[in-house]
Amino acid sequence: MCFKNLPVEFDEAGRATLRGGIPNPYAPTDTRPYGAPAQLTNDKVEELLRRNGYLQSVDFDPVTRVAGALAFHTVVNTKERRVVEARSMATLFRGYEVIMVGRDPRDAIFITSRACGVCGGVHSATSAMAIEMAIGCCPPPLGVLVRNLALALEFLYDHPLHLHLLAGPDYSAAMVGPTNPAVLDRARTFEAPGAAVHGYRTMFDLMTDLNPLSGHLYVEALHMTRVAREAYVLICGKYPHPQTIVPGGMSSTITQTVMSEMFVRLSQFFDYSKKLATIWDDITTFFYAVNPAYQQVGARRAHLIDSGIFDDPSAYDATYATAGEWGDKRWATPGAIIDGKLVTTNLHHINMGLEEFVDTSYYDEWVSTDQHSRYPTDPTGKPLSPYHPWNKVTKPRPQGQNWKEKYTWDTAPRWDRQAMEAGAYGRLWTTAVAQKLPANPFIESTGHSLRFRVPKGALPEMEMEWHVPAVWNAFERNRARAYCTVFTALIAFNNWRQAMDIIKDGDLRTATPFEIPRTGEQLGVGFWGAGRGFLTHHLSLERGAVSNYQILTPSTWNASPTDRWGQPGPYEEAALNTPILEETDDPKQVKGIDILRALRSFDPCMPCTTHIQTEAGITTREINTCACGVDD
Amino acid sequence: MLDVRSVRALIGGVGYPDLSDHSLSWAVVSALEARTLPGGVMVEDVSYNPVAVAQRLDDEPADDPFALMVIVSAVSRGRPAGTVTAYRWDGVLPPDGEIQRSVTDAVTGIIFLDNTLVVTRHLRSLPADVAVVEVEPLVEAFAAPMSQPVADALPRVCDLAVRCASDASYLATLPMCGLGGPRVEVTHG
Repeated sequence: MCFKNLPVEFDEAGRATLRGGIPNPYAPTDTRPYGAPAQLTNDKVEELLRRNGYLQSVDFDPVTRVAGALAFHTVVNTKERRVVEARSMATLFRGYEVIMVGRDPRDAIFITSRACGVCGGVHSATSAMAIEMAIGCCPPPLGVLVRNLALALEFLYDHPLHLHLLAGPDYSAAMVGPTNPAVLDRARTFEAPGAAVHGYRTMFDLMTDLNPLSGHLYVEALHMTRVAREAYVLICGKYPHPQTIVPGGMSSTITQTVMSEMFVRLSQFFDYSKKLATIWDDITTFFYAVNPAYQQVGARRAHLIDSGIFDDPSAYDATYATAGEWGDKRWATPGAIIDGKLVTTNLHHINMGLEEFVDTSYYDEWVSTDQHSRYPTDPTGKPLSPYHPWNKVTKPRPQGQNWKEKYTWDTAPRWDRQAMEAGAYGRLWTTAVAQKLPANPFIESTGHSLRFRVPKGALPEMEMEWHVPAVWNAFERNRARAYCTVFTALIAFNNWRQAMDIIKDGDLRTATPFEIPRTGEQLGVGFWGAGRGFLTHHLSLERGAVSNYQILTPSTWNASPTDRWGQPGPYEEAALNTPILEETDDPKQVKGIDILRALRSFDPCMPCTTHIQTEAGITTREINTCACGVDD
Repeated sequence: MLDVRSVRALIGGVGYPDLSDHSLSWAVVSALEARTLPGGVMVEDVSYNPVAVAQRLDDEPADDPFALMVIVSAVSRGRPAGTVTAYRWDGVLPPDGEIQRSVTDAVTGIIFLDNTLVVTRHLRSLPADVAVVEVEPLVEAFAAPMSQPVADALPRVCDLAVRCASDASYLATLPMCGLGGPRVEVTHG
């Protein structure tokens, strides 16, 4: 039984039905979801602000710049050095759902790719999978494997980019020095445990090379993005918006030569990923040793969701009916984790538990008071909420910002009405715990960790292990993302080997011909993932055209606002739990680095800006990552 | 003075496909690809991640790199629609914080003329001599045609780009400016 809040029960055979005797079973109740925290109401915060001089009033600019898509508002108690209010605001309406309605579904592959300036290919692939499910078209084995490889290569672009260009500078000497000089002093003599792998004797040396622009690790990451991009272009033709991803596979020509050239690039990530994981192990070890309170930076409940990725060509048949089976065969196991415990790996359950709420978002409600829904069940008869993406209607309603009412263009996606977090780490966690990983020579799922055997490069072959963390915070997110680079490189290696076997056997088919049905109604969903985690595209077709299209990106989950139950979204919850650890007693000098570390650890998938007001006025910091915004 | 006729020059376009006036550079590249250009002059679209543009420039032979780059783009700077400006960029970079922001924007998919200049210069990939030809856009809309003022400017922009790339004496007459260039219409070329 994976649901504690939704009115769904399972019989002994595992069949899901609605709990009986409830007139409108999905109607949101006033009872807060099981175990969910609640953010202070804005009225309460305003009252505290009026009578407490230590609370800093918080203000922010409306982020109207081209790159601006998220702003973050906090109220900080400078005496207790904690955040008392946090509000996450997606300030950009992108409207892909609206754009897609009425179009030929094949357009979706190219249009939704533009949702992101970095990981466009993942949207293309997710869209292609949703279409192939709707029209009944399954890719040939090589098509599945090349799609897996393409995804892996996008992650090998993404993860180094985030770790050393975006998040990394927060831990650099240049950033730590001004906010925490004692920490930097300690780094001068703190010997880096992983020196034999990454070559830095002390943490100070390592942190200096994390410096933006000039640091070697920063410059090296720029170079590695090129290596991954080149490999991607070899099999997909173009980056970041490939034209070769189609329903039923890939339209690119894949030969032994292409694969060999691609492998030359892929193999560079064996050594690089050893180094990345060791560096982030050392950063985590160092900060925990210097001050255990760093374990509270970005801390929140371990509520994670992942749709699973990297299909087994012998299992994937592109149907919804068997999604529970082919999902379990994926290299990264789908899953929902509640309070650190894996509660399901079944894609049907993951899909059934999805809902989106717009109570605090700039949209009109689409669910009528009688809770009528277009699709009360999924194609296998399992119950769906009227708030499920297949039932959702995007009704944008621009309006003024109001903390008590609506303040963001992001919706509040919930699974079993819980605020779930998406990320590269989600797939690591579910795969480690589920122990459903295909047999292979390089990765082992132990139930509490993932063990890796990373091939020899310039560095010797290495045994590495990522452990499910005891605490869930900003450092563990970054560490897991670094290990996810190891994981991804090895999955790519496994898939490359399989693809080479198929090519040697002479089966060079990469796509299955298809036709778009011109009659009737079809449903499809692409369960896939971005570098930042969970990604789904839900669509319905009517008479050959898109009648509804809904995208759930990782940042839709992570940047989601406080919901109708007062439950904060993941960014908000992480900020609320973050202590202010800067070494200053002067509130005017607080730069908000700990809150920024918390936010950046999610790898926010939108250009966003945090404005933290102290007595000195508004402090503005960019938190740019990829240009992929919240898609509503 | 650099004699650009004896060295290699690249005309690069920075813009967006199917975005009305902001597609000007695409139209320029397409038009120039159909022309026979003076010796040593190449034309390419460089409307992609500026870090990748830098890496592409780095691929040129070390003993014969581009000595001049002419970058063409439609950029909103508050001038009358269709205003054409041309200048030699002085190559002065903003403070490090701004450069870092530019690199971040670059790797996250933001395409913008100033960003391309800053990032490629910071990475020491941009040729020493850079000329910029800008047009003030009027319309920014998907799948819409160019506005009349910008469409009218297209032939002149093409000629201007080629002249900048191939006529050293003309290039020398252009003002040397920082990012954003002059506010006034180029009166010759």
